[in-house]
Amino acid sequence: MASSQELSNFLRDVERRAFKQTVYAVRDDHAALDIVQDAMLKLAEKYADKPAAEYPMLFQRILQNTMRDYWRRQKVRNLWTTLLSSFGAGKDGEEDFDPLDTIDVEDENENPMAQLERSQTMQLIEKAIEKLPTRQREAFVLRYWEDMDVAETALTMGCSQGSVKTHCSRAVHTLAALLQKQGLGSKAIAHLGTES
Amino acid sequence: MDNINQENNEVLDVKSIDVKSTGVESLETQAKLIANLLDAHANRLSMRTLKQLENGRELAVKTHAQHISGTSVNRDGTISHAIGWAEHHRMATTGMVLAAIIAGFVLMQSLNQTENSDAFLLGSDLPPEAFVDRGFEPSLNITQAKI
Repeated sequence: MASSQELSNFLRDVERRAFKQTVYAVRDDHAALDIVQDAMLKLAEKYADKPAAEYPMLFQRILQNTMRDYWRRQKVRNLWTTLLSSFGAGKDGEEDFDPLDTIDVEDENENPMAQLERSQTMQLIEKAIEKLPTRQREAFVLRYWEDMDVAETALTMGCSQGSVKTHCSRAVHTLAALLQKQGLGSKAIAHLGTES
Repeated sequence: MDNINQENNEVLDVKSIDVKSTGVESLETQAKLIANLLDAHANRLSMRTLKQLENGRELAVKTHAQHISGTSVNRDGTISHAIGWAEHHRMATTGMVLAAIIAGFVLMQSLNQTENSDAFLLGSDLPPEAFVDRGFEPSLNITQAKI
């Protein structure tokens, strides 16, 4: 059984990546936060007796399932919203603005031009990842970002290892093509990679 | 001649495999580089997001600690024991339904008994007052014994 300290360390290590992965999938920061928090709670509630070594795979599985639940709920909500939209008046772009939302934890020593260039490039990469089909994105994220092997990825995604390989290959090819189209070839990415 | 052609074909095959594998490797490397970039970028979240993630983590850790110690923390932050009724609301609901069924059964039984005794009193040859009068008790006992 994992101790609370081990769980805390694991969550601290994974929470930012999990948040970004969820944002790419659901394209809504608030929903992504809810999903990640929900996944954390489910892991602590249902799998308190599991060893810490099993946490990465369990957490990813919970996260993927929570995202699917969100999409299902969203589907039903969208149906009702479409039906009832004619009765209600929208706010027309009036949204609460909080400066804390826009303050990023940046490295203050970095050159502003380099920061801008980097953030623009990252936007391109993030958009390309958002454009990937769901299963391909899942496979890419688990295999390359979470550094899982093919077997673990297959177990987490609930499919065969062959499917994982196919999804990964297609994801990488699509990403490369999308980035190439934006003028971001492998050299540019490698250059950025060495900078970070 | 055939041998030379075969050898040439083999060399070509090996070369194409090499090109393929280097292509796959370069794509894999590119994927890893993208993942590294995403990882670096994921560390630059807004203060608010980081705070909310921290809150979520703390709540999860608290829940975990409560689970280990035998108590549990509810979603509203309150703490309840692992065998408390609030945690086992399904059991509580089942218990209440069973109690209601048993109470209903007992009530039906007592109502049936009342109806039977009323029918007995009305169907008897003796007047109902006779069953209250103590003087009739010996003859009633004899009648019951005969029945």
